[in-house]
Amino acid sequence: MGVVAAALDYDAELMLRVKDGDGASFALLLEKHRAPVIHFVYRLVQEQAVAEELAQEVFLRVYRSRSSYEPTAKFTTWLFRIATHLALNWLRDEKHERMQERLDDGPPDFPAREVSDRRPSVEDQLMYQARLAEVRRAVAGLPEKQRAAVLMHKYEEMDYVQIAKVLGCSESAVKSLLFRAYETLRARLAHMGRI
Amino acid sequence: MNCPMESHDPEMLVAYAAGQLDQEAVAAFEEHLSGCPECSATAADQMAVWQALDVWETPSVSPDFNRRLYHRIETEMRLSWWERLTRPFHPLVLRRILPLTATAALLLMAGLILERPAAVAPATKGAEAVRAEQVERTLEDLELLRQFSAARPGNNEHRDAM
Repeated sequence: MGVVAAALDYDAELMLRVKDGDGASFALLLEKHRAPVIHFVYRLVQEQAVAEELAQEVFLRVYRSRSSYEPTAKFTTWLFRIATHLALNWLRDEKHERMQERLDDGPPDFPAREVSDRRPSVEDQLMYQARLAEVRRAVAGLPEKQRAAVLMHKYEEMDYVQIAKVLGCSESAVKSLLFRAYETLRARLAHMGRI
Repeated sequence: MNCPMESHDPEMLVAYAAGQLDQEAVAAFEEHLSGCPECSATAADQMAVWQALDVWETPSVSPDFNRRLYHRIETEMRLSWWERLTRPFHPLVLRRILPLTATAALLLMAGLILERPAAVAPATKGAEAVRAEQVERTLEDLELLRQFSAARPGNNEHRDAM
């Protein structure tokens, strides 16, 4: 099983090299997966500094586990399982009333969107910020597992099988999670697409 | 095809909105949509949600992310075997055990202060002092009475006879 998985998954192969002491392979893995992990965690916790801190912990754990690593699953499944575990633990510890307050009160903590063919007007910017705040609030309002499932499905383009493995549940449970999550999001966000 | 909404399997709707269906499946589903107002409305809403979620871009990664990570890795490599062994418990100690221990210590101290014998002792000593004084005064009173009764006339005769 392990050998087959390594043959199918180049990342797992790199990780096996890291296990053998190859630091360059770790650098390659970091370069390839750094942004997806940070972005996934960011959308879960909705705080950039926290997302980077948690992502550091993810890669630190990957490095720590190098000597005992066995490619029993896809590398990204393992990576996102660690990321999800850390992010959900952080959410549970923090209990997100504070974050919800910040979403209601302050502007989002990332740079304004650039439109390639023309400079966005102030009105465009305000419209964008309002839409963004609504999306963030809608996603933050989802229960933890539904939120993680939607983020993996929508932004990481994972299939049901992989999401199930990351979340440690069955494929049918993932379908149910996504169905309920999208049902909620349709009620909250469908009007935005009709504008 | 079966109606996804009637069969409670909206996977097709989600996949359609996400553009994950192949051409053949899209054609079959769109044929169904043309005759099914419920699926048609839900598919439109799902596509709207999909587009709304596209709005959510993410900030760029800090330029020193790798440097900070490698610094942490280097620090970790320098840890002693004991520190590495106890490392998994550190967050637990800081987040759970330490506050609990501090609370327990405070409660214990409060209990000791409230139950301290010194707080009770002065009252007991005072009571004992009052009691001794009363006994002393009573003895003096008895002595006075005895002297008084000895000074009475009948008693003088008796004393004289002696």
